Amino acid sequence: MSHVDADSLLLDKIHKDEPDAFDRLVELYGDRIFAYGMRMCGHREDASDVFQDTLLQAFRSLKTLKEPKALRSWLYRVVSNSCLMKRRKGKFEPRRELSLEELMPAGAEQAAVEIPDLADLPVDALLRDEARRAVHDAIDSLPPSYREVLMLRDIEQLSTREAAQALGLPESTIKMRLHRGRVMVRNHLAAQVGTAAE
Amino acid sequence: MSHEHGKAAVGCKAIFERLSEYLDEELDPEVCAAMDRHMGDCAPCAKFLESLRRTVTALHDVESPRLPDELRRQVLEDYHRLRDDLKDG
Repeated sequence: MSHVDADSLLLDKIHKDEPDAFDRLVELYGDRIFAYGMRMCGHREDASDVFQDTLLQAFRSLKTLKEPKALRSWLYRVVSNSCLMKRRKGKFEPRRELSLEELMPAGAEQAAVEIPDLADLPVDALLRDEARRAVHDAIDSLPPSYREVLMLRDIEQLSTREAAQALGLPESTIKMRLHRGRVMVRNHLAAQVGTAAE
Repeated sequence: MSHEHGKAAVGCKAIFERLSEYLDEELDPEVCAAMDRHMGDCAPCAKFLESLRRTVTALHDVESPRLPDELRRQVLEDYHRLRDDLKDG
């Protein structure tokens, strides 16, 4: 079943006030909402609050939502607003968009650093775990405004349009931040590879 | 004809800027074709693209933390209690 079909059935249950509607919402989106909160807030306690805030909002407002296609972006909008309330504006929040020149490899040598393909790594649990940890560290090191876009597009796999609706940003900004976020992750991994090779 | 990385007619910076859209197949076919031509001629850009592609694949495969069972149980219990209270009240 496609996610739109599943969302359509869920919204139908919510509109009819069926007893198991809320359970189905938790079943479909509980893990995702919690994971998004963990990545954006960094603490389990905050992620738990975000999760409960989001479900409370859903309980209050989802009955008024008509369009099943909008359900995912609506939920992520609530989650991202809840995370925004939680997170402190800190040193990692850039006051301007990062310029591409800052992220572009300085020369051919830096551009050519190879990122290992996790699927190609030898069947060595330690190596794979290390590579996975490096990816997680790279995501966590992103400024929040880039991390939230990368989370929605690459991990939750929303479309550019859905991510734009969820975050209330123009599609052009989503594309720009996604690209910068990916390049930052790539550079982080390349630096790890460089360190490991030394 | 090869060029020094960063100094191509279709500049490496212009290519660099659109690599994610290229990977996400969000570009017009003509733009993709121009980028393919550039990449065929510019090994650093081609290698960077490959490393970015692998990065995106790794991101797609990231395992997310799961909702703890205890929190799931608690929120469902709270909801059903609230629902029952509203019905009774």
